[in-house]
Amino acid sequence: MKTVKNLLFACHCLALLFSGLAWADSAEKEIKITDPSKVVIIVNRDSNDIAFMDIDTNKIIGSVFLGKNVNPHMAMMSRDGRWVVTGGTRANKAYIIDVATLTLVKEIPVDFAPEHLAFSPDGRYYYQGNPDGDSVSVIDMASLTEIKRIHGFAEPLNITFTPDGTKAYVGNYGAHWVGVIDVTRHELLKKIHVGTVPEIAALDPERYLSEIKGISHVAMSNDGRYLYAADGDLGIVSVIDSREDKVIKVIRVGADPWRAYMSHDGRYAVVANNGDETVSFIDTEKNEVVATLESGPDMMGINFASHKAFVISSSSGFLYVYDMETLKPAGRIKIGLNLQIETATTDTAAHKLYLASSTDHSIYVIDGATEEVVRVPDVGLYPWGTHILDSKDNYCH
Amino acid sequence: MIYTSKTKHQLSAALLASLALPMSVWAQEDQALIDQINALEQRVIDLETTTVLSDPETNVKRIEVFVDENGIEHDTQVPGSQKIVTYQRERFYRRQTINEKIEEALADAESRSVQLGVDAAIVLQNVQQGSGADTPADGSTYQLASTDIYFTAGLAQNTLFFADIVSLSGTPQDADDDEVAQTNGYGARLVQQNDLSLREAWLMTEFWDQKLSLTIGRVDLTNYFDSNAAANDETTQFLSDALVNNPALGLSENGAGMALVYDPKGTFALKVGYQQSTDAATNLSDSLYQLVEMDYRANPFHMGEGHYRVWYRKDNTGSSLNAYGISFDQKLTASTTVFTRYGANDVDGDSEEDIHYSAGVQFNNGAGFNPGDAWGIGYAASDLANKDEEQLLESYYNLRIAEKLQLSFHFAYLTEKTAGKETISYVVPGTRLQASF
Repeated sequence: MKTVKNLLFACHCLALLFSGLAWADSAEKEIKITDPSKVVIIVNRDSNDIAFMDIDTNKIIGSVFLGKNVNPHMAMMSRDGRWVVTGGTRANKAYIIDVATLTLVKEIPVDFAPEHLAFSPDGRYYYQGNPDGDSVSVIDMASLTEIKRIHGFAEPLNITFTPDGTKAYVGNYGAHWVGVIDVTRHELLKKIHVGTVPEIAALDPERYLSEIKGISHVAMSNDGRYLYAADGDLGIVSVIDSREDKVIKVIRVGADPWRAYMSHDGRYAVVANNGDETVSFIDTEKNEVVATLESGPDMMGINFASHKAFVISSSSGFLYVYDMETLKPAGRIKIGLNLQIETATTDTAAHKLYLASSTDHSIYVIDGATEEVVRVPDVGLYPWGTHILDSKDNYCH
Repeated sequence: MIYTSKTKHQLSAALLASLALPMSVWAQEDQALIDQINALEQRVIDLETTTVLSDPETNVKRIEVFVDENGIEHDTQVPGSQKIVTYQRERFYRRQTINEKIEEALADAESRSVQLGVDAAIVLQNVQQGSGADTPADGSTYQLASTDIYFTAGLAQNTLFFADIVSLSGTPQDADDDEVAQTNGYGARLVQQNDLSLREAWLMTEFWDQKLSLTIGRVDLTNYFDSNAAANDETTQFLSDALVNNPALGLSENGAGMALVYDPKGTFALKVGYQQSTDAATNLSDSLYQLVEMDYRANPFHMGEGHYRVWYRKDNTGSSLNAYGISFDQKLTASTTVFTRYGANDVDGDSEEDIHYSAGVQFNNGAGFNPGDAWGIGYAASDLANKDEEQLLESYYNLRIAEKLQLSFHFAYLTEKTAGKETISYVVPGTRLQASF
């Protein structure tokens, strides 16, 4: 009987110990974010963290350190606001962050240099593109594990899911085709050839063989029916019918188009042509270029707010502004001197832009209507991108 | 204490659970270790296949600090402190591959060096006279080789230096027929041929959030005024000078001057400039060529962008001579651009004006055999105050062989009607090989 008593005492002690540890753990994980739609997520490449900024006060709520030399590239919040995921380009890992408590809950080894990513519409899967590994990792958000690695891509960059979640389109920057993934089986289903390299390319090996500039992104029309894939080397935007996975039109744009950005009303696909520093406006009803306007060097992104398009010219430190009604230039906004500005997101009301400025470690909040600029300094080192839940302008480089 | 059977079972279950708990924790720890080993193995593989530099990076940053009366620096403002701008090094952890490091170093070196560019062309033209009294140009073949070597260097914030040295050599048409000479715009605004000339040498700086740019030095004002998207470049578009710039500009050579451009990147831009109109003048005041231009950017009916320019110039060389003109280009579709120019200039000693006008169309952006090809048809006419009339029709096809190499084929038909004389006409086929690198 004494032995039983001792055992019972020991059990009680252990139970107390475990419950104490559990309490301590839960005490550490206090809720820091109650409304995930009210934060701006900031990817800090060189401080290796993901910072969370209050959208109302522009104050940093907290940040999640991922580890030295992780160099996160892009972050995205799950549609339920529970998780933020990011790929650590130089750690070859995917990272899962619990938004409410701002804790890193999982590091998942993936393939080389994970960069761009996307959630499936139901939030079940997170596809992580690994451009240096020529693969896409499929992360199951229920088990938080990589359940499959899909091979066969050529420098896969951005991933676009269809609204019904049955297919995902992958831009291959190292090729001239768009990869179609069957999401039910997580398999590369087909390769859509977007355009033919001109015969005369054979006379220009310096251009066509030294480096390839293929497709960085596949932009989807608002109804999910058509896809717009810009190809840098070919200087085209191919329109793909998502029902048949077939190119229905090839639209010639400026030199070295980076990608197409869909205006919020879906009326225009705006293409940043870095080769000739212009932007092409494609009317999505006619699938024709209706304006090609002068812009700046090194365009990294395009945001839409207050019936205007804001084109980020990275190395010049300017935002070039265009009136989306008249399709005419509407001036430019000087962000700063000797700055490298990166990408931006727009709030869900399409009023304000949150622009990452890497070299001065700041976020610039730009009012779309008044074009007033407010600087939020010291958000982390080398902010590379921003993200807001349900924003229509969530993208990466 | 009395333990009932039920209580005993509960106690046993609790005991087993308490024993199982640590075991499951140990199992989890083992699994975590295995996972960690797997991850480390993967990392070793990664490192073996991709050489990576993990040294901390250094960056110099422009910062604002506050210095108090005692010279002590503070990050935030303290009473009696003064805000100053300084520079400070910072360290961060960015892992880069050797390739990235090399690319970065090369780009950095390139940005600090003087950029050198070459623009070389060989123009071969044959002249066949169609009508009129025989001229020396009839049946003659002309070849002109032009080489521009230009240098660009960044000197300070938003300030750069540019110089363009040009050499023209060959057999220009000037000696045989001045009108035929105008079918090759390479010699325009250059006085010396078969010699090395300084075409341009200027310093450009930008102010006021880069809305205002000032260019000063030896300038070619036609680079800033009377632009046209479809007819303004003898190196890739029409070869004839009348379809490169408006003859009413009356600018015969480049000279020392200045161009001030206000362009807020909206719908309007304003340009003002002057230059010495002739090298023969002894001072600038006696040879002042002044230009002003207003530009408007439009997109009528969303059919495409259009540029509409109106200019006025004044040249005080000799008696004061004025001119005015317009230069419009408008895209009709993504690959079709129409253009027109009109200009009128005073003539010394004549109450009437010289009138010049031109129009045409350019097709590009996939409207040729190859994606980079362009072709066009243009017509230019001059009704001169002395009743002479000149008309020119030119078509070209520019084949973009490679990014740096273009071959174009030209066909020009030229008529010259001189008061009291028979109309002379010429057919001028030609080719142009153009290299830019």
